Amino acid sequence: MSDRRPFLYDAHVALGAKIVPFGGWLMPLQYASGTVAEHLACRRDAVVFDVSHLGTVRCDGPGMFDVLQDTLTNDLEKIAPGRAQYTHLLNDDGFVVDDIIVWWVGPNSFDVMPNASNTSGVTSALPGVDVTSERCVLAVQGPNARAKVATVDERFATIGRFHVERMDFRGTEVRVAGTGYTGEDGLEIAAPNEVANELLASLVGAGITPAGLGARDTLRLEAALPLYGHELTLESTTLEAKLGWVLGLDKKTFRGKEAVEEERARGPRRQLTGLIVEGRQPLRDGAVVSFEDRALGELCSGNFSPVLERGIGMGLLHDAPDAGSTVSVSMRGRVLDAQICTLPFVRKVK
Amino acid sequence: MQIPSELRYSKDHEWAKADGAVVRIGITDYAQDALGDVVFVDVPKIGAQVSAGGVLGEVESTKSVSEIYAPVSGTVSAVNDTLKNAPESVNADPYGAGWICEITTTSLDDFNSLLDAQGYQALTNN
Repeated sequence: MSDRRPFLYDAHVALGAKIVPFGGWLMPLQYASGTVAEHLACRRDAVVFDVSHLGTVRCDGPGMFDVLQDTLTNDLEKIAPGRAQYTHLLNDDGFVVDDIIVWWVGPNSFDVMPNASNTSGVTSALPGVDVTSERCVLAVQGPNARAKVATVDERFATIGRFHVERMDFRGTEVRVAGTGYTGEDGLEIAAPNEVANELLASLVGAGITPAGLGARDTLRLEAALPLYGHELTLESTTLEAKLGWVLGLDKKTFRGKEAVEEERARGPRRQLTGLIVEGRQPLRDGAVVSFEDRALGELCSGNFSPVLERGIGMGLLHDAPDAGSTVSVSMRGRVLDAQICTLPFVRKVK
Repeated sequence: MQIPSELRYSKDHEWAKADGAVVRIGITDYAQDALGDVVFVDVPKIGAQVSAGGVLGEVESTKSVSEIYAPVSGTVSAVNDTLKNAPESVNADPYGAGWICEITTTSLDDFNSLLDAQGYQALTNN
């Protein structure tokens, strides 16, 4: 199957994007200024990502609350209409099928947003309609995101963190949520395709730097946010990824709950652990971590941290020693020292 | 894409410039553009013996890792220490401040068999 072009493809090319295949889509990896500059623009100012490759499964109608509540891990009773929630879809063995953001737009209206490559799997687990091809999603992130978005539309900038609201952009309904994936404050706007080009142009015109998937990955890594296919897979669990807070254990049921309860009773086999090196050399996924000649596991993600200017990585490790301990990382036949550190690597949102 | 006419090129996207028996080496503009932001360069050690086509070091970007191959055989006689703290000069100035190392050769045969600018241009067009 050939990769899909996002609706805004031509706009990205016109903005100087270098395009790469990702999760079945052809998305911007970076624009002319490059990944490191885009990363730092997000930490210091404001950037806009096209994240239309994330799926939107629209679950509208009475009874949807119960279906989502009994399927996904997190407890919708903890929030209310007008709020967004991070949650997991597990299989019956308690392994992660996908990590998802749910926008509870109205009483019987939910936008369930899975990862690009998992959208069909989530569609089959939920009775919603896949509307991914009808809308674009733009994520505006960074300490100046709200101030700059306010010059495009003052209302957008007022959205609270993890709130979601229907608003309009020049007469067309859009959905705005105070969510993101960078560790910065910001918001995400889901807009029908008809107005997406105009919205992107307005945001860029407001001085918001376009940023690609390269920066999105280094930003989420610094913030220690998991990426499906890396930290979260069909061989890893929510508890191993230290995301126990997304498990609604007080709920009557959710898919995989029995397996989760068993795992919780015996304790997770592995724990998500951060590593940092002395110098700039990036750590890489697949590198083997060992301590006193005992293999602890492999890194799930690794790269260069533009903020810390050091190599960082995280992995699901068995019996990792305490923060501050020096471990060995074997990459491409060579061994490098790294220190166990606390997560996230960079802490920003207040 | 810059391909200076006074330099010679390997099929692995290194450039080389001979000054007597000393050959300065770096990666091409084409290579740095394909790699994206360079964040770390593993340069060889001074005194290391290298043979043409052998691994000389690594260039790492936020996207990937790429090996640097020696375009000529010889002894590493100088390395660009400024790359330790400013590896981004490989992107900004690949043929100048972003040079990688110098190899002192006993013969310029390897060098003379490298591509000229026209040959490298043809390679990158394919």
